[in-house]
Amino acid sequence: MFATQKQPELLPYGKIREDLFRPLSGLTRKYFAAILIPLLIILFGAYAWTVQLRFGMGVTGLQRPVFWGFYIVDFVFWIGISHAGTLISAILRLTDAGWRKPITRAAEAITLFALMIGGMFPIIHLGRAWYFYWLIPYPNMRLLWPNFRSPLLWDLTAIVTYMTGSAIYLYLPLIPDMAQLAQHNVPWRRKLYRALSLGWTGSDTEWHALERAMKLMAGIILAVAISVHTVVAWDFAMAIAPMWHSTIFGPYFVVGAIFSGLAGLMIVMACIRKFMGLEQYLTRHHFDNLAKLLLLMSILWLYFTLAEHLTVWYGNDPSEMAVFGARTRTRFAFLFWGMVAVNFVIPFVLLGIRKLRSITTGVIASFGILLGMFLERYIIVVPTLSNTRLPAATSTFYSPTWVELAITAATFAGMVFLYLLFSKLFPIIAVWEFKPHPHEDEI
Amino acid sequence: MASVTYLLSEFRDKEAVESAIHSLRAAGINTADIDLFSEEPVEFRRGVLDRPSRMSLVSVLGAIIMGGTATAFVWWAQNNYAVITGGMPVYSSWGTGVITYEMTMLGAVLATFGYFLWESGLLRKRDKTRPVPIVPPECICLRLRCIGEDVARPTVLLRSAGAISVEKRAPL
Amino acid sequence: MAIDLDRCTGCEACVAACHAENNIAISTPEQAAEGRTTHWIRVDRYYEGAFPDVKVKYMPVLCQQCDEAPCEPVCPTYATYHNPEGLNVQVYNRCVGTFYCANNCPYTVRYFNWFDPVWPAPLQLQHNPDVAVRIAGVMEKCTFCIQRIRRGKDEAETAGQPVADGDIQPACVQSCPAEAMVFGDLNDPESKVSRMAESSRATRLLEDLGTKPKVFYLERGR
Repeated sequence: MFATQKQPELLPYGKIREDLFRPLSGLTRKYFAAILIPLLIILFGAYAWTVQLRFGMGVTGLQRPVFWGFYIVDFVFWIGISHAGTLISAILRLTDAGWRKPITRAAEAITLFALMIGGMFPIIHLGRAWYFYWLIPYPNMRLLWPNFRSPLLWDLTAIVTYMTGSAIYLYLPLIPDMAQLAQHNVPWRRKLYRALSLGWTGSDTEWHALERAMKLMAGIILAVAISVHTVVAWDFAMAIAPMWHSTIFGPYFVVGAIFSGLAGLMIVMACIRKFMGLEQYLTRHHFDNLAKLLLLMSILWLYFTLAEHLTVWYGNDPSEMAVFGARTRTRFAFLFWGMVAVNFVIPFVLLGIRKLRSITTGVIASFGILLGMFLERYIIVVPTLSNTRLPAATSTFYSPTWVELAITAATFAGMVFLYLLFSKLFPIIAVWEFKPHPHEDEI
Repeated sequence: MASVTYLLSEFRDKEAVESAIHSLRAAGINTADIDLFSEEPVEFRRGVLDRPSRMSLVSVLGAIIMGGTATAFVWWAQNNYAVITGGMPVYSSWGTGVITYEMTMLGAVLATFGYFLWESGLLRKRDKTRPVPIVPPECICLRLRCIGEDVARPTVLLRSAGAISVEKRAPL
Repeated sequence: MAIDLDRCTGCEACVAACHAENNIAISTPEQAAEGRTTHWIRVDRYYEGAFPDVKVKYMPVLCQQCDEAPCEPVCPTYATYHNPEGLNVQVYNRCVGTFYCANNCPYTVRYFNWFDPVWPAPLQLQHNPDVAVRIAGVMEKCTFCIQRIRRGKDEAETAGQPVADGDIQPACVQSCPAEAMVFGDLNDPESKVSRMAESSRATRLLEDLGTKPKVFYLERGR
C-alpha cells in the first residue's frame, strides 16, 4: 500500500505548496457550520460566567470543604493538554526525529490555545475574579503586594513564561511561510502576512539565525514545560491535605500532561487529515508512531498511579486511607476504576495489539484517554477535599452545576473555534520544514 | 567611492552552490559579500559558508540577567514593603526558587527571540540598495556583491560551477 | 484559649453568640444540606457505641490560630497573615477568593461567602457595628473576637492599667453556661488559660501536623 503511493517528500514542490495552502482560501458552508456551533457554546459559557460574577460562587456546586472543583480540574486538564506541542516539537526536534515534521505546527498550536484556555481558569475560579490583578506585582497605593511564596504565584509566573515561550516557538517557524503567503489573493490577508513575515527574504543569514533560535528554543521550552506542570502539581503537593502532600506529584503530573497532550494531538491530527485532505502528508506511519508513544505514556501513567496508591495503601495512615477508600472502594470507585479502564486497559488493547492499531482505533483510544485524564484530575481534587482530617467536617457529595458544566463545555468549544480560525489563516504544516534537508538520508 | 554591482545567479542543486562558493572564495571574495536565497534552509558542511553567531551566549546572558533581576526585585520589594510575616522569614530563597527559575527561562526566551530578530537582520535597518532576488521554486539564488563594474571573472566562476543563469544588477 | 470538654454540654450557645457578635449570615436548611453553613465556631459531635450504651463527645471547633498556620504561606495576596499579637488575621479587603487557605486548613475552620449574606427580618437590625459585614467572594473565620481584644486593650490603656486576666472574653467564652471555655494570654504563666494548658488533661487537635495550635482541649482519660 505504501509502495504504490508516492512519498510526500517526493511530490513536486508545487503540489506540496498547493495542498498546504489550499485550505487557507475559501469559506464553505461546512466551515461556517463548524465554526458557528462552538461559537454559540462559547457564548453560553460566557453567559454562565457572568451569572457567576453577578451572584457569587454559590452558583457553582462548591461547598465546604470541597472548595476546589470543576474549575481546578479544567485548569489542570488544559495545562496538561498544552504539553502536546512541547513533546512533539521540542523533544523530537532535539532527537532529530524526522517523522515529527508535518506534526509540529499543529502540535504547537494546540499548546498555545490550550494554555490560553487553561490560563483563564485561575481567574474564573476566583471568588472575587475582578480583583485578579492583585496577584500581579504592580506599584500601588493600597498596600497590595503578592505573596511570592504561594504556589499560586508560581503558577502565574510559570504559565506566563510558558505562554510567551510557546507563542514565540509557534511564531518563529511561521515567518518563512508568511513570506511565501504574502502573494495571497485576498488584500487584507496579503497585508497581514507581509507584516507577520517581518520582511523575510530567505537569505542564508536569516535561515541560520532561525535554525539556531529554534534549536535553543526547543531546549528552553522543554525545560519550561516540565517546570510548568510540576508547578501546577505543587498547587496540590505543597498543601498538607491527605493524599495531596505527595512527593510524586511533580513527575506524576508531567507524565499525565504529556499523556493527555498526545491523545489530544492524535485527535487533532486525525481531524486535520480528514477535513483538510492531507492523507498523503499525515500517513499511517505518523499515526503508528504517535500510537506507540501513547502506549508508552499509558504504561508510564499506570506506573505512577500504581506507585502513588500502593504506597498510600501500605502506609495505612488513617487520614490518607479515608481518601484512598473513597477513591477506590466507595464514593468515587466507579470513576476511579473507569479511569483506569480508559487510560490503560482500552489503549493497551486498541494500540498494543498490532492488528487492532489503526487511525480510527487510535482516535477512539485518544477520546477515552482525554476522558480518563479529566477523571484523573477530578479524582485527585475532590476525594481529598471531601475527606477532611477532622472526620466531622467530611462533606456530602460535590456535584457540578450548570454553570461549571457550561464553562467546561465552552473551553472545549473554544479549542475547536481557535483551531478552526488558525487553520484558516495559517498553513497547518510548515511548508519549508516539511521538505527534508538535502543532507538527510532518511525518508 | 567605487561603484557596486550585484550578480544574481540561480542554481538547481546545492552541490553546485557549494562548488561556486569554493571557487569564489578561492578567488579571494569575502563570504560577507556572498548571500544565498532559498525557500528552505540549505545546509553545508562546516567551513563552506559559516556565519558565526553569538546567540547561545546572548541567551544565557539574558537568562542570568532576568533571573537575577527578578529575584533581587522580589527580595527588595519584600524588605522595602516590610511585609508582616509573623515569624516566617521576610524573604525565602527556596520559597521564591520557582519564581527565580521561571524568570530565568523567560529571560532566555526573550533574549533568544530578540537576538534572532537582530542577527537575522529582520529588525535592523536594511540596506535598501541591495536587490532581493525572487527565488523560483526549488532553486537557490546566490547574490554576489562586486566592487566596480568588472564582473567578468565572477560570472565565469559562477557559470562553470553550474549556474543556470547569471544576471548583472545595479544597486537599487 | 482552653476548652474543657468534660464540662461542654453541646448546647451551642457559643455558636449562637458568635453569630450575633460577628455578623455571620443565617443559613437556610437547603444551604445546610449543601454544606454551605457558616459557623465560625461549630460543635462537632462524635458518637461511640450503640444504643443504649451511646457516648457522645462534643467538641467546639474554631480557628486554632496556629503559630505555624498552614493557611498563611499559601495566600497569594497576604490576606491571611500572622499579626504581632499572635493571631492569625484575615483581611477581608485583600481576599481575592482563591480558596487555597481553606484547602490547606487541616481543621476545616475556614468559611466562604458563597453569596451576599442575608438575614431574615428583623435580624438585619442586629448587626454589630464593630465588625465588618463580608460580601460574596471573601473567606472568613474565627478571629478570637479581635474587636473585643482591641476594645479591652484600649480601655486598659485609657485606664492606665494592664489588661487583667479574664477582662477580654470572646463572645463564645462569655456565653458558655458551663464555663467550659477560658480565654487569656498564653504568654502570661499566671493566667488561667496558661494553667489550664499545663494540665495533665490538656491536648491539642492534630498536634502532630506541627501547626502549633493555640486552643487547648482538656479531657479526662487521655
